[in-house]
Amino acid sequence: MNSGCQRETPAQSDWEQWLARNVSGLLLFARQQTRCEADAQDLVQEAVVESWRRQADGAPPPLGFVFATIRRRAVDLARKEDRRAGRETAATRETPACWFDSTVEERERSRLIAEAMRKLPEMYREVITLKVWGGLTFREIAEALEIPANTAASRYRYALAELRKRMPEILA
Amino acid sequence: MNDHKQELFEAELRRMAPARPPADFMARLMAARPPDKIRHQAQPAVVSGPRAWSLLRLRWLVPAAAVVIIAALGVWQLRLWPARLSWQTRPASAAPALKADAVRIDRELISAFDAVARLPSGEPVRFRCSQWMDQVVLSNKERGIVIEQRTPRVEVVPVRFETY
Repeated sequence: MNSGCQRETPAQSDWEQWLARNVSGLLLFARQQTRCEADAQDLVQEAVVESWRRQADGAPPPLGFVFATIRRRAVDLARKEDRRAGRETAATRETPACWFDSTVEERERSRLIAEAMRKLPEMYREVITLKVWGGLTFREIAEALEIPANTAASRYRYALAELRKRMPEILA
Repeated sequence: MNDHKQELFEAELRRMAPARPPADFMARLMAARPPDKIRHQAQPAVVSGPRAWSLLRLRWLVPAAAVVIIAALGVWQLRLWPARLSWQTRPASAAPALKADAVRIDRELISAFDAVARLPSGEPVRFRCSQWMDQVVLSNKERGIVIEQRTPRVEVVPVRFETY
């Protein structure tokens, strides 16, 4: 009898290509949401595996859904360990893993951007990370953060302006 | 900041690539490939035309069904009430009401997908469909009771096509 279903294993090559394309952005986002590198890596792994498992059709999960899962897990983690306040200020208190890749010439620029990003309020940092380095549309950002798309867009504009104020030399 | 400056600034930001993940972490991730999953054949990712409209039209069925069930339960309880009074001999003070000392309300996004339909005028409309799992957990530490209720919910939101 044809049940209309077949067993399907995600091809190893699909899995590896998807990881190679997306893990850097996901890890950057997770690093901003957690206090330490180990937590960030665990969150990314859990979110990626969970999102792939939930795809009934065997296709790669939407990236926005993976970002949303990371964020939800980060909130759960913070709640569980009773350190919500810690999470919200983590990016400014800790010396986390380097956020960006940079050549020797770009090291100063990379440091400036990371520093300015850490000083941004979390709600702006999230939007700018998802848009610039996550490659999401405003609609996908809105779904990931559970906010209206217009709010995502206005937060993004505000965040860009704030960042630029904090490092005018970038465009000098 | 004007549009041109914003674009330049965005380009500058994009030049910085997120740091590459450590090799040991990548190796761990590669090895964490999810196990086998079931693929459903011929399952369209996009619900279009009349089917999308019928989905929308039938949205009211879910809350309506819930109201009918609650009403039926209420009627059933009322009919049982006299019988219950007759065999309930324990005094009220012997069975104190259960009071929850912690209530947790949570929701989890199970899946999200888009459906596209056309209005009679030919204009396309996108429906954003999200499947949620609402969860309420009541607990009474004194008596060691935890009550958990999980309710699936489907949200269908019509949206216009927009370009961001």
